[in-house]
Amino acid sequence: MRIPLGNEMMTTVRLATGGVCALKGLDIDASEDCKVCVTESLLLLSHAGFGQAEIGFSDEEGLRVFVGGMGQREAGKPCPEDEISAALLGALASDVCMEKKGETVISVSFRFAP
Amino acid sequence: MEENELFERYKQTGDIALRNQIVEKYLYIAAVIAKKFVGRGVEYDDLYQVAALALVKGVDRFDASKGIKFSTFITPTVTGEIKNYFRDRSRLVHLPRKVAELRADIRQAAEAFMSEEGRTPTARELAARLGVSEEEVVGCAEAGVTVSLDRPAEGGEGNFYEVLPASSENEFEKFEDRDAMRDALSTLSEAERTLIHLRFSEELSQVETAKRMNVSQMYISRLERKVLQKLKERMQRGTV
Repeated sequence: MRIPLGNEMMTTVRLATGGVCALKGLDIDASEDCKVCVTESLLLLSHAGFGQAEIGFSDEEGLRVFVGGMGQREAGKPCPEDEISAALLGALASDVCMEKKGETVISVSFRFAP
Repeated sequence: MEENELFERYKQTGDIALRNQIVEKYLYIAAVIAKKFVGRGVEYDDLYQVAALALVKGVDRFDASKGIKFSTFITPTVTGEIKNYFRDRSRLVHLPRKVAELRADIRQAAEAFMSEEGRTPTARELAARLGVSEEEVVGCAEAGVTVSLDRPAEGGEGNFYEVLPASSENEFEKFEDRDAMRDALSTLSEAERTLIHLRFSEELSQVETAKRMNVSQMYISRLERKVLQKLKERMQRGTV
């Protein structure tokens, strides 16, 4: 799924994520946590200056989610809440991988087990 | 004052005023995290309170000498407290109390079994340990799990949504009624809405409602009759 990075897309992405989580048999709490993690990843990419993002789901000991920045990157606006987003991802999901170019986050992936 | 200096001074002195200063400085973290968990059946104010308490406890446990930022340290702590709150107090899907309690017992028994036997227990083993039937264990494990309406239907063609039995009532009318009721409720005074909430949402008795609203049961009885009549007339008039 490839989306423009804007607040108006968040609800759509959260709905799609919830649907995938339900198909994978995640319980409600895990599904909600997964939605939070997708949202936080998108926020990190948005703050890094990306205009678009790609979101992928794959079977990998449960559900692995990949969220990567796409398109022309503008100068990012570092946000103090980014640290909280990163820590939140670590607290909610398993196997969190955050790929960076310098100080800029360019992709995030994480896993949820059913 | 620098972050570490503040924590160091508090660690040395134990001065509550200093602790409060730290808490106030980082209270925004509690607010930010609480907002992330809104929409799961618990009010923001309750989540904020849980998060703020976790923050206060976290200030005492934080060791600045370990070289991590306080925000990085406190986020998992606050998140954990909020998740515990959800687990213990509330769920998006409200399960019957008996099922919720059995789920908690099953989780504990499964953990105990794991540490004793080094493997995951079967439903039969859990049932034997808890003195319940295997069906109850399986039923509880499935309770609260979401199911996609697009999931393929079992033993047939099409998806789950297509094989769901249709309701005998007109669902669209129910939606319209709910809309009309919402509008009618908006015409009530604050006290009247509180009464409706306590009596029909929290399902309190008139006596309990009276205690909560700090009035007599007689007053509640009269007010309830009046409010119900008002709502009935409002909806019958169709002016809503």
